[in-house]
Amino acid sequence: MTRGHVTEHLSAYLDEQVTAGERERIEAHLRECATCRAHLESLRHAVALTRGLDPVPAPAGFQAAVRARLAGATQPRRGLMFPRLRLSWKTAGLAAAAVLIGVFSINLLRGVQPARVVVRNDLESPPEGIAGAPTLRGDRFATPKTVAPGATDIAVLPTVPTMRQIIRTAHLALTVEEFDDVSRRLVTIAETAGGFVASSSYTQGSGGPEGVFTLRVPAARFASVLAEVEGLGTVEVRRVSGQDVTEEFVDLRARVRNLERHERQLLSFMDRATKVSDLMAIEQELARVRGEIEMLTGRLRLLGSRVEMATVEVAVRQQTKERGGFWDFGASLRRMQGAFLATIRQILAAAERLGVIASALVPVAVLVLAIWFGIRAVRLRTA
Amino acid sequence: MDEPTLIARSRAGDLEAYDHLVGAYQDRVYQVAFRITGNREDAWDAAQDALVRAFQGLRSFRGDAGFGTWLYRITVNAALDIVRRRPPRVGDLDPVWTAEADPAAVAARRDVQRRVHQAIATLPAGQRAAVVLRDIQGLSYEEISRIQQVPLGTVRSRLARARESLRLRLLDLAPAAPEEDRE
Repeated sequence: MTRGHVTEHLSAYLDEQVTAGERERIEAHLRECATCRAHLESLRHAVALTRGLDPVPAPAGFQAAVRARLAGATQPRRGLMFPRLRLSWKTAGLAAAAVLIGVFSINLLRGVQPARVVVRNDLESPPEGIAGAPTLRGDRFATPKTVAPGATDIAVLPTVPTMRQIIRTAHLALTVEEFDDVSRRLVTIAETAGGFVASSSYTQGSGGPEGVFTLRVPAARFASVLAEVEGLGTVEVRRVSGQDVTEEFVDLRARVRNLERHERQLLSFMDRATKVSDLMAIEQELARVRGEIEMLTGRLRLLGSRVEMATVEVAVRQQTKERGGFWDFGASLRRMQGAFLATIRQILAAAERLGVIASALVPVAVLVLAIWFGIRAVRLRTA
Repeated sequence: MDEPTLIARSRAGDLEAYDHLVGAYQDRVYQVAFRITGNREDAWDAAQDALVRAFQGLRSFRGDAGFGTWLYRITVNAALDIVRRRPPRVGDLDPVWTAEADPAAVAARRDVQRRVHQAIATLPAGQRAAVVLRDIQGLSYEEISRIQQVPLGTVRSRLARARESLRLRLLDLAPAAPEEDRE
């Protein structure tokens, strides 16, 4: 654009929102410049198009909905406004202390358990047989920010909208002694957990048979399945991830709800429509809306199934067999070393756990002391 | 009952009085919400939010700006809130079932309406609100400046930029429109 053009002032000029001086300059320029004249015409036209938009009145039932929302929002509050409770300072203090301690202990429980998990994580292949430990470990891995222990079990139900919706996936690479045996046992593990083997592949590699199995198991059994699979051989790679899709879930559900409302509205339009052309237009829109609802619910269902059924991908490789004599001394030595290290690690882990719990208790102890002194002070003053 | 009385009684919590105000303003509120959010579902929610918020916030309404201006401000904010919170879904449907006899004319008209609606929906939030308030609601620059709480100059430039974007997007709808000058 060359100097002197007045394009950026044309909008204000149309609305007569320019000063007299500007107006003079613009008009003088317009007389000479065909480009700006054309621009003004085209702008005028665009503005006219916008102004020509049909008015959009509020839909039927809108006013009633506002009223209902306001009535719902104001009435129940009235009853709760003035609770007739006269608390003494002592009772209030005690109640506050109880609440604080409760909150603290809950936080404590929350804070301590993931710490245990981190400790366990450091062991590449934790010894089996600790009841409860596998569940805990798996869940914590998949959901680092879960609200409370135990909540994860509910979280897998897609019908509870506010619960976290998490797609869990694990990748494991195992070295095993007997490939065929392990592949059979993988199927058994999946089936006893209420899941299935979604796919499996098998190749005869140079070092022995190799295969990849994809297990789909109910999310609630994810952790125990993981532990069982890990028990089949030596774990070489272990990757557990949880993808939080709660937001997408909520969003999809909201969109479906909106569309359904829209559909109902269209249906009510249809009852009132008299012209054939109107009916056809509504019909067309209805078909579109239905289609979109179907698409979104399909996506919801897919997500739901992904959340319900966790995926465990296992790559299995058979260990090359040592061809030693009647006693494989090296293997025994390795086993002994492994057992020795495992015990030491367990002792260290237990010590660390104790330390964590002790340090978590410190603030509670301080709080209790402070409250106790506070109550004593109040008592002394009143006595 | 006149408007000041209705406002005073609504402020005291009279739902009946506020209902009358809602009846008087709902079309304006809904239309602004619809053009800013771009679709009916969000418009419904935004307009509802605005009217509920207005009732709850009536206490803070001082009456120096005029009830309509004040309500517009709440509506624009509610609509922009929704736009910010939800991914934009533009042009869900064309706004009105026009009652014209000739189906071809209806179709053509609806096409134009949809194009303009979609063009507005692609504007940046501030410009979109400005153009909706000016060219759809027909408010003055001063009112828009009060609603958006920006200086007059900003209203002017927002409108200029918004209309220029609309002009470019709708060039083909204007028979006499020139190409964008290439000097």
